[in-house]
Formats: sequence, C-alpha cells, structure tokens
Amino acid sequence: QVSVLYFARSAELAGLRCETLSVPQEITSLQLWEEIVKVHPRLAVIRDQVIFAVRQEYVLLGDQLLVLQPGDEVAIIPPISGG
Amino acid sequence: MEESEDVPKDFVKLKCEKLSVDEVSEMVVSPYCGAVSLFIGTTRNNFEGKKVIHLEYEAYTSMAEAEIKKICRNVRQKWPSVKHIAVHHRLGVVPITEASVIIAVSSPHRAESLEAVMYCINTLKASVPIWKKEIYEDEYSWKENKECFWANSEK
Repeated sequence: QVSVLYFARSAELAGLRCETLSVPQEITSLQLWEEIVKVHPRLAVIRDQVIFAVRQEYVLLGDQLLVLQPGDEVAIIPPISGG
Repeated sequence: MEESEDVPKDFVKLKCEKLSVDEVSEMVVSPYCGAVSLFIGTTRNNFEGKKVIHLEYEAYTSMAEAEIKKICRNVRQKWPSVKHIAVHHRLGVVPITEASVIIAVSSPHRAESLEAVMYCINTLKASVPIWKKEIYEDEYSWKENKECFWANSEK
C-alpha cells in the first residue's frame, strides 16, 4: 500500500490530492502509471508530460523496476514551473 | 570574531506570506563577505497578449525543500568560497509585481555570489517540484518551465 500524491493538473484531473493505493511490491514505473490510470482514467491525457517522484526521487515512466515498501510516497509530477 | 560567524548556512523557506528582500539579504550578510548577490522573481502582468490577474503557486513541499537543499550543496561544491545561501519561495496567491522567489548568496568576492545566484535560479526552474498557475480574465493555465527535462513536447 503506497500513498499517491497528485499535484497541479494531475490533481485537477484526478479530483483529489492524495490517496492510498494497493500495488505490487515490485512493479515497473510504467505499470504503476497504468494502475493509477485504471482508478483515474482522466489522467491518461497527461501521460507524455508527467514523471513520478518515488520516495522523493524522480523516476521516468518506463521500464525502471521499482521496489516499493508499505507507506512509500509516490507523487505524480506534471511539468514544473517554480521560480 | 565569534566562531559561529564562520559556519556557512543555508536558509530555505516556502511560505504563503509576502516575501521580504530585506529579510532575505540580511540572512546572508557576513563580516567575512564583501558581496551579497540577489535574484528576485516577480510576477508579470501579461502573457502572450493575455492579461494576468495573479499567479498561484503550489508545491510538493517536503521534496521541494530537499531539492533546494541539494542545489545549495551543489553551489558549495562549485563555489567553495560561498558563505551563506538563502532561498525563499512564495506559495499560494502572488499578486502582480510581488516577488514569488528571492535568492541571496554571500561570498568574499563578487564573482562567486553572482554566478551562484544564477545557478540557483536556473537549477530551481529545472528540478524543484513547484507549480505555477497563471490566472487570466476568463481562464487559467498551468505553466511549464522550458528547463523542465521531462516536458518535451517533441516526444
């Protein structure tokens, strides 16, 4: 069970800022995205623009294998615009 | 001279209240430094012909603070003579002409603090999880920094 955090456009599309999701402990970042889109199909439109932050480290959507622990934070990161 | 004056410090803050240039520059002043360099990011009133009413910022706060602290560590590796670094970023609503970010760096001589300030703002725009929404008269837009490495529309 991981905490998924939504920001900016992804929070608007998902309609919420955070929730707990059950996912396999070992999963690629792309598979994790697909699990999240099953719950929030409206997120599909931003697939090419987002990356993840897993335990506060950026992860591209792709084949990278993640090893998740219960309570880990996974954040959906749309293109940033600080400063 | 007190020992505590010698210890370089990083001052990183994300806050909703109005930012103060006086406060941020005073944080980095040091009797060992002959230079304090400053960058202030202020909100513009227009974008592509549309009138901007105000900006709204949100952040993944814990990670944003951690990423800014990483930037400070990198600054100190590249410019070891840098003394203090302060980065204050505003969150929530920022009215036109008010500051959304203030960066101040002190160093004994001016070259290092000038270069370090530029590096800080450029790297912040590329890597810190903060988002800006521009509010126009009848719509809004989530902005995307061109420095953002994963937001290439050519993909």
